[in-house]
Amino acid sequence: MIPKSLEDVKEIPVEIVDLVKESVINTFTSICGDNPVYIPDSGKSGPVNGVIGNIAVFNPDHTLSLMIVIPKDTAISLSEIFVGMELPFESDDMGDLVGEISNILAGDVAANVETVGFRGQSSLPTATRGSDLTLFMPNKPPTEEMKFSGSTGEFWVNMALTESK
Amino acid sequence: MGKVKALVVDDSKIMRSAVKRALDQLMLAEFEYVEAMDGQDALDKFSNEIEIMFVDWNMPNMTGVEFSKAIREMGDNDHIPIIMVTAEKSMGKVDKALNEGGANEYITKPFTADKMYQTISRYFDDDGNIVGEEEEEEEKSFFKSILKS
Repeated sequence: MIPKSLEDVKEIPVEIVDLVKESVINTFTSICGDNPVYIPDSGKSGPVNGVIGNIAVFNPDHTLSLMIVIPKDTAISLSEIFVGMELPFESDDMGDLVGEISNILAGDVAANVETVGFRGQSSLPTATRGSDLTLFMPNKPPTEEMKFSGSTGEFWVNMALTESK
Repeated sequence: MGKVKALVVDDSKIMRSAVKRALDQLMLAEFEYVEAMDGQDALDKFSNEIEIMFVDWNMPNMTGVEFSKAIREMGDNDHIPIIMVTAEKSMGKVDKALNEGGANEYITKPFTADKMYQTISRYFDDDGNIVGEEEEEEEKSFFKSILKS
């Protein structure tokens, strides 16, 4: 299903993209209680003022990197639902929250992509906060970006599929 | 009614708070918490006074499964319920936690207070004390014998 070598592959297999999309909706539905809506053909997220959660699902052959791009307002709204109070955007707890959301998403993705033969485990999450944040993909691996909108606001999920080194 | 000493192990402070908040809402017992940020920290903080443990899987230094396994291998700890609270959802991971790690229960994140109640209420008696597996069996046998007579 996933080519052994990704050198000549331009896109992430559609089955993987669909399963990640399903996991994003599952995860945010279970956290927020409402279904986030996938917004197709929405263009790039562009420079963002917010938090980016990074995590990977990997095995010895392939690494599926997930980056959740959460604008500041969405992050604050998410914190109110998850923690029961608005967390200050600049606090360590905000990074902790986005890391945990990334971890929960990766757990769902790992279980979901197993159904198409991608058996992997989750890395530890990291979170990056700032303004004018732009995602770069060195070496131009196959990538996919998806935009969602829910009760807490808009957010993006970027993924990249690379060979494990 | 004494306090139940619970060890809450998660590298996320937010999740440790979420576990504690859910437990306090359930009113199953009055809890006293010991918090640890990974498996190694939890091993350092473990003592014979711990009565129940809530353990994340994916943590730096020592994973939740490695910690649970280490606790079970120490001996004389089989009666302490270990509840895995984790984002890992695949059946293979559940099997590994329960069989290899020696955990008693498995809850996936994000969890609700209801889900937590369904999972752990059987480990508490009406007075808010922990009921070990053996005591639970003894109670069942006792009630069965009453019903027979």
